[in-house]
Amino acid sequence: MRKVSDGHRLWLMSELPVLEQAGVLQPETSDRIKNYYASNTRGGLHWAVVAFAVLGALLIGSGIILLFAHNWDTFTRPTRAVLSVCPLALGAALSAAAVLRNGGTAWREAAGLFHALAVGASIALIGQTYHLPSDMPDFLLTWALLVLPLPFLLRAGGASLVYLALACGWAFSAQDQYGQAVAFWPLLLPGVVWLARLIRADRQSAQTHVAFAGLMTALCVGTGAAFERTVPGLWIVAYSALLSGAGLFGLCLYGERDGWNNIPKTFGVLGMAVLAYLFTWSEMWRGIGWEHLRHQAQYRPWGAWADGGVTLALLAGWAVAAVRAFRRDSAETVTLAAFPVLATACFAFGSLTASAESLNALIFNAFLLGLGVMYIVLGCRNVKLRQLNGGMALVSLLLVTRFFDSHFDYLARGLVFIALGAVFLTVNLVMARRKKQKEAAL
Amino acid sequence: MKTPVLILLGALVAVQFAVLVGMINGKERILREGERVLFRTQPIDPHDPFQGRYVRLRFADDYVPLDPGETTGLNRRDTVYVTFATDTNSFVRFNGWRTAPPTSGAYLKTRYLGEHRNWNTGTRTSTADGFRVEIPFDRFYMDEAKAPLAEQAVRDATRGTNCWAAVRILNGKAVIEDVFVRGQSVRTLKRR
Repeated sequence: MRKVSDGHRLWLMSELPVLEQAGVLQPETSDRIKNYYASNTRGGLHWAVVAFAVLGALLIGSGIILLFAHNWDTFTRPTRAVLSVCPLALGAALSAAAVLRNGGTAWREAAGLFHALAVGASIALIGQTYHLPSDMPDFLLTWALLVLPLPFLLRAGGASLVYLALACGWAFSAQDQYGQAVAFWPLLLPGVVWLARLIRADRQSAQTHVAFAGLMTALCVGTGAAFERTVPGLWIVAYSALLSGAGLFGLCLYGERDGWNNIPKTFGVLGMAVLAYLFTWSEMWRGIGWEHLRHQAQYRPWGAWADGGVTLALLAGWAVAAVRAFRRDSAETVTLAAFPVLATACFAFGSLTASAESLNALIFNAFLLGLGVMYIVLGCRNVKLRQLNGGMALVSLLLVTRFFDSHFDYLARGLVFIALGAVFLTVNLVMARRKKQKEAAL
Repeated sequence: MKTPVLILLGALVAVQFAVLVGMINGKERILREGERVLFRTQPIDPHDPFQGRYVRLRFADDYVPLDPGETTGLNRRDTVYVTFATDTNSFVRFNGWRTAPPTSGAYLKTRYLGEHRNWNTGTRTSTADGFRVEIPFDRFYMDEAKAPLAEQAVRDATRGTNCWAAVRILNGKAVIEDVFVRGQSVRTLKRR
């Protein structure tokens, strides 16, 4: 059911007597409005309660870890071994209480978060008591696997975020220690299942938005950590497909909404802008492709296949999202869908020709300029200040960067800047004239 | 709805406890039944946000000597089982290796870390004389007030002669028992 916030309700309640006095509303209508919003208002305290419960659990959990980390050597080893499992016992008791008492969101979130942290604290304390060696991937993997079912059992998003953070941490430490982290992909699956369940239950809920943000962050961070980098530059295709796919998926799921209300689109659009900016540098296109396969000892022979498989999977996801999103024929959809096509074409071109660096960089300079102008136009048309400012920021960033970029000649930069300035001024003049003509016609 | 969730939660907590108790039991068994050996070491004092302050142990004899021309055919991080012998001062030195656990005698399960090279200052050349192995006990956790004292005590002691770690080894697994500086356990150092 659609519910308004308490703040909005209070404002409306203060307006009703004014409207009654002005004769706009009848007293009966005013009463009916009051009754309607009395039962359709979201409690203002709700998220504050959840936030405080989560913060409390987080602080107490961290405090317990620090307290034990002091390492009280006055205790005997058996005492310390027993103390090591105390955080887990406490976490389990809290979780059980949350289930038994049919606890609300605040209870379940606090219990889930505390329980997830307690598992890590207990493993760390056993490591401390028995002086276990520093095997970070092993520690993080054990911790992650032991907390994996918690989000599903307690319906707690915080525990899911802890799990995703551990999976990402594992990917980094495993890549560092073992030289590969392919298992990150199956580790990510529970996060995807958790999000799918939330979307099916209520895609508009705050818990779904938080889960989306967590999974998108894990995907962006984890892809970088798990990628084998055997084929230089393949990340260009993979990240373009990932971020564009996310943006298109957001458009399918939440339509034209943006910001917090459309997390995948926000990630997609921001990610596309950041990538497009990076691709405006010719260095990004140097020494890329299959011709430059890395064979050194730290690169696995199967790395090219693993990275290729991940890239293909991401491209497949992007294709599905693009087909579904094309039902809404907007400039944003077309731009998002075109981005990986352009990136892949430039990657292929760069792989085939060594002299493609400058041309690829030029193409993305034009793309970023187009993206900025598109958002300026959309912002003006839809009267959305966020879009307008975003477009202005992109164009300004590109212009400032290229103004100081010594890779291009002063003459070429000067001519391009003058030409662009002339185009902007001409457009401005045309728009002003049309506006005048419209006003005169009215 | 509540009962199945409670049962599943109970099963999860049982698994969580089983893993932790398994870890504790495995280490306790090594400390109870394992063979006690001494490793020469040089400790330094860093810290870990989860586990507190610890003394990181560097081992001088962290390699298995090979005969001239002998090769292992091992890749980095391959599992290897190393055997050891004690010298006249009861300190351990690795003396052999296998890719499968030995059927008799004490051994340590570890990983191959690449060749060990010996630098000859006279000829200014280095020659491969063995391979390095991962030492699976490189941390000794301490009371946060005592760890810096331990580091200071170690700094005052002469490297390689006055510091050692007492380790229990059983079925290839090891647990560190204590660290000594000039014959004194770092646990018994006085607080500041």
